[in-house]
Amino acid sequence: MIRIILFLVFTTFGFSQNYYLYVAAESDDTVSLIKFDGKSATELERIPVGIKFAETEGPHGLTVDPSGEYWYLSLAHGNPYGTLTKFSTQTNTEIATTELGYFPATMEISSLTGLLYCVNFKLYGTMTPSSVSVVDPQTMTEITKIPTGVMPHGSRISPDGRFQYSVAMMSGELYEVDTVSLEVNRVLQLDNNHHMNHQGMNHQDMDHQGMNHQEMHHSTTQPTWVIPHPSDSKVYIAGNSSNEIIEVDTDSWEIINRFKTGKGPYNIDITSDGKKLVTTLKGEGKTEIKNLKTGKSKIVDNTTKVSHGVVISPDNKYAFVTVEGIGGEPGVLDVIDIGKAKLVSSVKIGKQAGGIAFWKLEQ
Amino acid sequence: MRTILITSILLLSFPITNLYSQDLFVKSDLQGLKLKIGETFEPETYAENLKGERLSCPYTFYYNKQGVFSRAKAISYDRNKGEIKANAPGNHEVVAVCLGLDDQRLSRTFEVEVGYAMVKEITISVPKDNYVSTYLDLSFDVVDEQGFERDGQKLNLTSSSEILSIDNTNNVKAIASGTAKLTAELDGVSATVEIKVSENPLSKIEITSNQEVARTGDVVRYTATGFDSSGNEIKNLPFEYTFYGKSFDVSESAAGTILNDGRFVAEEPGNYSISATLGDITSSKPLRVVARDIKREVYRVGNTVVPDKRTSDFWIFEGVDGRDYAVTGTHSADGTAFFWDVTDPTNMKKIDSIKVDARTVNDVKVSQDGTIAIISREGASNRKNGIFILDVTNPYDVKVLSEYTKNLNGGVHNLFIDNDHAYVLGTGERYYILNIEDPTNPVEVGMFEVGSEGQNIHDVWIEDGIAYSSNWRDGVYLVDVGNGIAGGSPSNPVPFSNYTYASGANHAAFPFRSKSTGTFYVVLCDEIFPEGVNLTEPEITAGFCHFVDFTDLDNPVEVAKFEVPGTGSHNLWVDEDVLYVAMYGGGVRVVDISGELVGDLFRQDREIGYTMTGSPNGFIKNATMSWGAQVYKGYVFYSDMYSGLGVAKVSEDKPDTSNENQYIERTGIPD
Repeated sequence: MIRIILFLVFTTFGFSQNYYLYVAAESDDTVSLIKFDGKSATELERIPVGIKFAETEGPHGLTVDPSGEYWYLSLAHGNPYGTLTKFSTQTNTEIATTELGYFPATMEISSLTGLLYCVNFKLYGTMTPSSVSVVDPQTMTEITKIPTGVMPHGSRISPDGRFQYSVAMMSGELYEVDTVSLEVNRVLQLDNNHHMNHQGMNHQDMDHQGMNHQEMHHSTTQPTWVIPHPSDSKVYIAGNSSNEIIEVDTDSWEIINRFKTGKGPYNIDITSDGKKLVTTLKGEGKTEIKNLKTGKSKIVDNTTKVSHGVVISPDNKYAFVTVEGIGGEPGVLDVIDIGKAKLVSSVKIGKQAGGIAFWKLEQ
Repeated sequence: MRTILITSILLLSFPITNLYSQDLFVKSDLQGLKLKIGETFEPETYAENLKGERLSCPYTFYYNKQGVFSRAKAISYDRNKGEIKANAPGNHEVVAVCLGLDDQRLSRTFEVEVGYAMVKEITISVPKDNYVSTYLDLSFDVVDEQGFERDGQKLNLTSSSEILSIDNTNNVKAIASGTAKLTAELDGVSATVEIKVSENPLSKIEITSNQEVARTGDVVRYTATGFDSSGNEIKNLPFEYTFYGKSFDVSESAAGTILNDGRFVAEEPGNYSISATLGDITSSKPLRVVARDIKREVYRVGNTVVPDKRTSDFWIFEGVDGRDYAVTGTHSADGTAFFWDVTDPTNMKKIDSIKVDARTVNDVKVSQDGTIAIISREGASNRKNGIFILDVTNPYDVKVLSEYTKNLNGGVHNLFIDNDHAYVLGTGERYYILNIEDPTNPVEVGMFEVGSEGQNIHDVWIEDGIAYSSNWRDGVYLVDVGNGIAGGSPSNPVPFSNYTYASGANHAAFPFRSKSTGTFYVVLCDEIFPEGVNLTEPEITAGFCHFVDFTDLDNPVEVAKFEVPGTGSHNLWVDEDVLYVAMYGGGVRVVDISGELVGDLFRQDREIGYTMTGSPNGFIKNATMSWGAQVYKGYVFYSDMYSGLGVAKVSEDKPDTSNENQYIERTGIPD
């Protein structure tokens, strides 16, 4: 009888949890505010973020500041530099904008310095080293550009806020930036074979003009993401071309493991207890959930093709995955129950859903 | 390394949670700091709580609030030395950031004043001839010891003689003949020039013109001739031209533009009086200005609505079978390009389509012989955008010949085809020149870029072997790609002229030589979205078309503009001294650009007519968003983002204006 009463009480008055996220649609110049109530995800608002209607500026990276009061968006294309824009989470209106480098992409704010670190992906013509822009979000001033590798991506900050990690997709490197001194602290080559390996490369698509072939290293790994472990001295890297997750010990600064994945691992997030790693498999339209303790993985099919971003809810229950789609297909946000490894909800948004940031969890 | 280590220890010894319950404020000896050019300063910054207790910052750094770009070089911060350096005069904002004392970093902005160096030199420029009762056309250049020019600072002007009168804003008037020394002084440095003022030699001015009666928009040339008391002509006098007018319509004001060389153009019908003045001598000549009377009915002939996608650029061409065809792109959609049979403009038919892995096919162009089309690509799922080359020999069955992506991953927004070469924009930085003699195997043969910091290109147009690229803030570049004027070729593009303007919004360019005057112009149209992007309602646009006279390639001159209030410009076409310009929400405008061009063409009533291009069945119903216009076989084809492809005709008939301003006589020449 008591059990029945308790069941009725919980089902009648039980707390529901609402999860709120921002998701960017790169080919529609929109950002969607999404609410997931534990059962279904809905698009609360579609926010236009473009500058010129007839041009596609390409909203790419998103992050919410630690206070939850503001969200930040990188627009890949400008005249010619991309921009970083600060929005209010209360009104979803623009507060300030600053110019960054070529194709500013992923970013995060350090809880230690309060500064925002955004990689300039530079997906343009000749492949040359790019940089990490450091921005003071209070004044929205770009303080400095820290030179890093070719096509840097996946800017993530260590849990103590002390280091910023990014990977250079085409030079195959892991960069550790000191968030205080604003200098590169360490660089680690991620390719198995450090010598030039031309396997799997389409040289017709590459511009060799102006390259120093003695110095230029063509990555076979093509890393696209890095995420620090929440408690261990490790970072995990998505090897987009090598189809693997690379585990790096940040104490010894060496690769300690390589886990094979499905095709085209792209973005990664890790549960706050450090137990599970969730990776989007861009080449398969799937999401992989890996138990770091057992090493076992489960695969979840995404709604459409070209899986892109992933963020895990603070309670570690759900992974929110963006799926770009192809051509005129709408972008999709998939909600995956991590424990059950099951797709539980999807919502269509603008085309080429990519950047994603978790805003808040409300009881 | 040791510093970093100590810093790390200090920082990490402060937990993220707030140890300091009281509010903290940043204090610094940057407060009230004044520096000289070139001076360095090592600031000391700390935090203070409400009790006035001083707390050291574990780590401090500084930055120029203007950021890292070239505009921020006025004051710089050297992290290694921990010092700021004053590089340019002025008031600069320096932000001091204090880390490690709180759960959020503390910061405060300080204004640092960098003083000007001492004035080094003042230069005064004086006209050769100065006459009594005229204001002297003087200019002053002040340079300091650091080489910086001092603009906007008021000089102390004094005259050695009362023949010069100096008012509170430093206007200098000659009030009597003679010689005076004018001295300009600033910061103890001065310069003196001797100014000779002559009696006005004139006893009369005769003013002539090439027209007694003109239409609005007609440029009338006035020539003033001065004579002395003996009736002798005096040459090279600095006449000042002015005008007065009264509009025929009491609700309007007489208005126009008058230039220093005596050219006048009226914007409103009415009676005008143009004067030439030197000192106390003046002479005027009346001018009757009548309505331009060029309004014509512009009516829509046909429209093919694309209801489910936004339409982008288009191209009309004659196929190898002699029929007429069109290709249209799509924007923020699904990578489709449509092909149309437009032989009968009243009954245009969709005949084929190509769909590629993209979201936007922004530009579409067809080779002069009608066999090859190229479509641009943005938003490819594999991020390799580039172009597709199509065989349009049979537009009813279009085939892909090749895909080309080298250097074009970031997306192609615009392109042009000219004589077996494609000019393709690579992610807005530069254009690549591809030889497409074998369209299945395009080969890069050349490249052009402006080479400036932040170079950015939006469009390119080729005519007579000259590429006209629109480069936003870098304006238009004229590049020889085969004309021969500068020895250029597709594999060796050579720039030979450039023009920039203040808004930095140069989006499209179209060259033309005026049939009526022979003057060579390039029309440069802006693209501006002042309020960003709206998802559900028609967009707000701004900007206009600039008419630049390129007669002197070394000194192009902007002479006129076409601006429609409330709407902005986009793509354009010029044919037979008529401008056809898509003005986004303002529809397609047809403008008489015959004759000499000076001033504001819209206000001169040079607009022949317009058509609003929206459709009740459009992507956004009834909304107009005109993209571009092309004149072809007597028709004005256009594309509209919301309605698709349309065609209009400029009638010989005047529009029916019986229901508007029916009591106003605006045309004809009163007897």
